[in-house]
This record gives sequence, structure tokens and C-alpha cells, in this order.
Amino acid sequence: MGIFDSLAKWLGLKKKEANVLVVGLDNSGKTTIINQLKPAESKSHDIVPTIGFTVEKFSGKSLSFTAFDMSGQGRYRNLWEHYYKECQGIIFVIDSSDRLRMVVAQEELEQLLNHPDIVGKRIPILFYANKMDMRDALSAVKVAHLLNLDKISTKPWHICASNALTGEGLSEGVEWITGQLKEIVNAK
Amino acid sequence: MSTEDKEQIENDTSGMVGNDKWLEAYKDPVASLYTLTQCICLSDVQADGDWKLIIADLGTGSFNMKLKVYKGTNLMSEHTIIDLPTGVVSFYMDTHEPRTPAIAVASGPYIYVYKNLRPYFKFTLPTLEVNPVEADLWNQVKEEKINIFVLREMLEGMRAEGTVLTVRSLRFLQLQDVGDCETFANMYKYTPLKRQTVITCLSTMKKSMAEEDAISCLVLGTESKSIYVLDPEAFTVLTTLDLPAVPVFLSVTGLFDVEYRIVVACRNGCIYTLKRGTTDPLKNCIELNSQPVGLERINKTIYVGTMDESLHCYTSKGKKLWTVKLPGSMTTMEVIDYKSKGFKAVIVALNNCQVHIYKEKYLVNVIKTDAIVTGLKFGQFGREEGTLIMTLKGGGLVIKILKRNATFEEKDLSGGPPSAQNTRLNVPKKTKLFVDQTMRERENAITMHRTFQRDLYLLRLNTLREYAKSLDNSMNPISSDPSEPLKLNAQVQGIGPTFKLTVNLQNTSLSQPSTSLLITFLYDEKLYNFKKSFIEVPMLVPGLNYAFETFLECLSDKGVSDNIKVFVLKDGKSVPIITGVISMPVSEGLVVV
Repeated sequence: MGIFDSLAKWLGLKKKEANVLVVGLDNSGKTTIINQLKPAESKSHDIVPTIGFTVEKFSGKSLSFTAFDMSGQGRYRNLWEHYYKECQGIIFVIDSSDRLRMVVAQEELEQLLNHPDIVGKRIPILFYANKMDMRDALSAVKVAHLLNLDKISTKPWHICASNALTGEGLSEGVEWITGQLKEIVNAK
Repeated sequence: MSTEDKEQIENDTSGMVGNDKWLEAYKDPVASLYTLTQCICLSDVQADGDWKLIIADLGTGSFNMKLKVYKGTNLMSEHTIIDLPTGVVSFYMDTHEPRTPAIAVASGPYIYVYKNLRPYFKFTLPTLEVNPVEADLWNQVKEEKINIFVLREMLEGMRAEGTVLTVRSLRFLQLQDVGDCETFANMYKYTPLKRQTVITCLSTMKKSMAEEDAISCLVLGTESKSIYVLDPEAFTVLTTLDLPAVPVFLSVTGLFDVEYRIVVACRNGCIYTLKRGTTDPLKNCIELNSQPVGLERINKTIYVGTMDESLHCYTSKGKKLWTVKLPGSMTTMEVIDYKSKGFKAVIVALNNCQVHIYKEKYLVNVIKTDAIVTGLKFGQFGREEGTLIMTLKGGGLVIKILKRNATFEEKDLSGGPPSAQNTRLNVPKKTKLFVDQTMRERENAITMHRTFQRDLYLLRLNTLREYAKSLDNSMNPISSDPSEPLKLNAQVQGIGPTFKLTVNLQNTSLSQPSTSLLITFLYDEKLYNFKKSFIEVPMLVPGLNYAFETFLECLSDKGVSDNIKVFVLKDGKSVPIITGVISMPVSEGLVVV
């Protein structure tokens, strides 16, 4: 770290950084959400199915995030666990109109929560019940019930309905996770 | 199977009710779906990556027959079908972009083709020949030359002889009341007489290319004991194949233009194999002991479920490979072909509310359901590849998804001796040489034993002599001198011309330290140049491993290597305590750029 960086940090001028992992089933809207949170000049116009993963940076009011946007396709889901060690927060995106695969999302969430790199740590998890504009979308409360979120007792979690295409509901979630991560990052 | 075996399977499989491999995605006990395996199809009809579930509902048998399309867990659309459906398949008719498959529903003598979920085309099977005598009779009725009693008598006579009559004549003969016969005859005598048949089974065959979305032909079996292959673009009959009995189940593999094989199970309990260009189906016929309930083909083996509660496996030539007795009678059978995992198995629904999955002849999984399963389908549904659709007898719908990391081991759950015991050992025959040698052994037994024992003792003696010699010369890396308990171990690192030589020395005693030791090396001075050829060893604490390093350079570039001896010497003794010999690797020469 250069002298200016350390000075800026000491003075509180530089924003704190946090690593966030963005996971969820394929076609749930992860890349679209990250795209919405990025500053306007770096937004892409076409969202294509992610292969492997991409790293994106975006910043909230007091925290700058490095997001690992993982692919949700079945064959790439085993890559998620390699990034559990380094992440400080998790964003789990669910397609609330895909009732059929809710059980698959619940299964993936269970595997994530029981992973040795995650089970002991007090990582905040933000759930986005995405695609709330779809005709048969489930409410955030229903999604929370189907994913058994009330069984999570060791980690702080929050769920909000969102529409990644318009950006509705995203800022609420980012504010919550910023609050959670600031305590963790400041404590470091 | 005996009751003990049955109980054992219950206990064994209770731990794997199917929950650890299958996720319960959706369950609707009141979906009111009355259907069979042949009338269920999974297809991407809107070409949007979201595969739909298409079910032809048999309704009550005489009305309310519908084609239901499910998107996710919701019923997307319903289309009324006119007659009882006997088969639903999805196939690609054309090469227009985006690649949308069409749905073909077989009912009666017609095939209804739906494209984009809208009726597109109706194909009528070619009419069969009408018996000329019969045609003549009805003609005469039309022209009022004969009355209905004569007609009835003639028709009954023909039926007794065994001629196949048209449906109209058969219906006429069924009527008992004279008045009904009159009205019937008068109603129908003006329409031309034609003989139609009914489709019994429907399948697809790729036409010329084997890709997933290549154009396919339709293959259908009819009640008139024949199989038709239809061209998808013009809906003409490409081939007609005749069988000795009515086909019930079809399994088609291959390409129409190249080489194809159709395996047919018929109502007479036989399985026929038809190949491209065969004229005589009887050449390749498998006779079953009881009626077939399901037919599937995986790779080159044919799996048949029969009414005597068993599952048989035959090779394509017709040889029976194995038979498995099922714990109940089979209601339906389907093949699981999970392409991304390369997993192929047969799934069987039984009437004891269980669904068994067999990989080869091993039961790998059991799923318990609430009611008897009448229809099964495995494939991609929605965006998920490994989905199992089950329709239940009371009209319910159950959808299960295979877990991402589920594997099916081929462990034989029913216990018993391992299957390796069933294979016969390939014992070679006795040769003449073997017999001669045995005779020689019998004759010279004593001398052979003596020579052998003498050689053994000599070998032992020589070994011990060498060992004693090496102990005297302290040539071994472990010290045998009780006053100096040391262990030496050396390593060479590097590819040359510079190497790093590490000598690991360890004091192996429990409480006695070693002092005043020195390490020195014996090497060919023309080949190697040591940086430090003399190392003073500090006091060695018992139990710890000490590493001493030195660099050495290989002076020659001819790629020769030699041995280096490492000596550990004690002050005052002329014989080294322990010695180690290192054979140096060949050094890579200096690269001159």
C-alpha cells in the first residue's frame, strides 16, 4: 500500500472495501442486478448467460463492493464453493416466478449454509426475490417460507422483492448489506 | 422373492426413500390428469429454453379429451381433442428459425399436428382395401336391390368365415332391433364404404442427421398389423412394414436414410426387430412368456416388462441376458437418459405405489408415491434437465427433480453372493508339458527338495556375509555402533550444473547427544566442485533432524554422472561412523545464449 493510500485510509477518506459473492440459480437475474448497481457509464446493454463467473466493482454510499457474479447453470454451481472463503457477504438471487425450481434453490442454499467455510462465520446474506413484476411471482414472504429462511439463526439475513430490469427494490437490499458489512470491515 | 427378501429390501431402501437423490418440486393431487406414459411429452414448443409439459388427457374416454400444456407449475393452455389420444410426441418438422418443434397427437386414424400450440395439420392414415363382396353388398342396399335381412345374413356369413369387415358392417351386425338396423342402413348407405384403422403407438425417427434438432419422421403402428413411417415435410407414407400381430410398443433407433432399427412388441407376446430393408420380420423374433407391459431400448439391449411381474433384458439378437423379479406388477416403464451425466437407466412403476430405477440389473433407487403411477416421463422441464414427471391414478401430478450431485451406484441392493461369483472361471486345459513335469516331480522328489534347500541356504549365507561386510565398513546409513546412534539421509536438488546437496542427520538415541562429528565427501575432483566439502556438525540433540547443505557444481558438460560418498566421521576414529552413497543425476549443461 502506498503512502497516500495509507494516509487516505487513516483519514477516513478512502472507502472501505468488501467482497461479496452473488449466487443463485440460472436465469434468476444475478448479472442484471449487478449491472443495475454499477455506475451508468459501465453498464452493459445486453445481458447474456454468465459462463464461469465475472468480477464487478460497484460502490454504495460508504462502502465499495467487489462482487463475484457466479454462473448459476447446473454445471458451474460447483465453482461457488471455491469463493466462500474470501467473501464477506453473500447475495442470493431467486426467480420468484419459477415455482418449480424453488426446491432446487432451497437445496443449493442448504448446501451453501452447511459448507465448512461458511457454517462457522457470521456472514450476512441478502436475498433478492427477483422478477416481482411477473404475473405469478411469489411474494418475498412466501419465498422466505419456501426456502426455510427462518431456520437460519447464526447469520444475519434479509429478503426483499426486486425487479432487476427497473432497479426497484435493489437499493433497500444494498443499504442493509452495507450496514452489516461496515461493522465487519471496521472491526478488521 | 421370499418375504424375508422383501422385508430386507424394505429396510434397506427405507434409508433411501428417494429423498436423498430426488427433490420434490411440485405435487398436485387434484390435477385431474387421466393419462398414460405414451401420452406425455416434454418439449420446447415455444423455443424459449423453457420446456413445457404436454399431456394428452384421456378425459372420461368418450368426452372431455384434452391436450394440456403446463408451463412450470401452471396450466398454460388446453386444447380439445376429438378422439381418444393414443400417443403424443414432439418432433422437428422443418428447419425454420427459431427451431420450434411440433407436437403430434395420434388419435383414431388421424394424427393431429400442432405447431406453436395451434392446430396445424391433420394427417389421415391411408384407407385400407375394402372387401369387394362387402362393398358390393352395401352398394346393393344403396340401390335398393336387397333388403337388410339379406345384408345381415351375408355379412354374418362373411364374418364367420373370418374376413375382416369394415367398422360400419360390424356396427350394423351389433344392432339387434330391426328398426335400428333400418335407420342405420338408411343413414349410412349413401356414404362410400371405407375401411379405416386405428393408430396404436407413435414414435419418431430422425430422418438424415442425428442432431437433437434435426428433422424427424413419424413412426406409427396400427391395428391392421402394420407400421407406417411418415415423411415430416410432406406427410406422405415413406415405408410400410407388415407384422404378424398388432404392435403395441415401439422403440426406434437410427436414421431413416442410413440405417434404422425398430423394435416392436406385439399383442401376441412376441418382440420383432425390423431393420431397414427387412422383408421378413419373423427372422428376428423374441417370444415372451407373458404379455409385454413396457418396452425400452438402451444401447444395444432391450428391456421388456411383462405381466408376470418381471423385467427381462435381451440382447438385440434375442438372447436373454437376465431377469429380475419385481415386487409387484408393473404399470408402466420408461427410460431415463440423463445426457449431461451420461446416465441411462430404466424406471419402472409398480402397483404397490413404488417406482424402481434399474441400472443394468441392479436396483439403484426406489421412490415411494402416494398412489399408483400411471404415466412416467423423464427429461428437461422448465430450465431443469433432470426432471421426472409422474401422473398418478387418482389424477394427481408429481414432479421430482434429480439432485445436482446425485449418483447412482450399481450396488446390488438385494444382497446375496457378489455377482463375480456367478461368472465361470476360465480354467485352461492341462497341457502335455504340465503332465510330463508332474511325472518328473513324482520321480525325483527327494533330489529336487535337497537341491532347493541347499540353494536356499547358500543364498542366505551370501546375503549375511555381505551384510556383515558392510557393517564392518560402516557402509550403511544407519549406525550399528551403540555409542554413536545416528541416521543419515541425503538429497540432491537441482538440475545442474549447480546442485544443492542436503545431508539430514538425526540422532536416534533417546537421551544421548552426539558431539564432535564431521561430515565429509568423497568425489571425483574432475567432475564435481564442492563449495563446502567439510562440514563441522554441532551437537546433535536426540530426536531432531538436522539438515546440512552444500552447493556443488558439475564441471563436465558431457553429461556424465558419478557417485558421491558422504562420510560422517568422529574425532579420533579412522573408520567413518556411517556412510551414504549418492548417485548424482546427469547435469543439464549450461545454456549458452
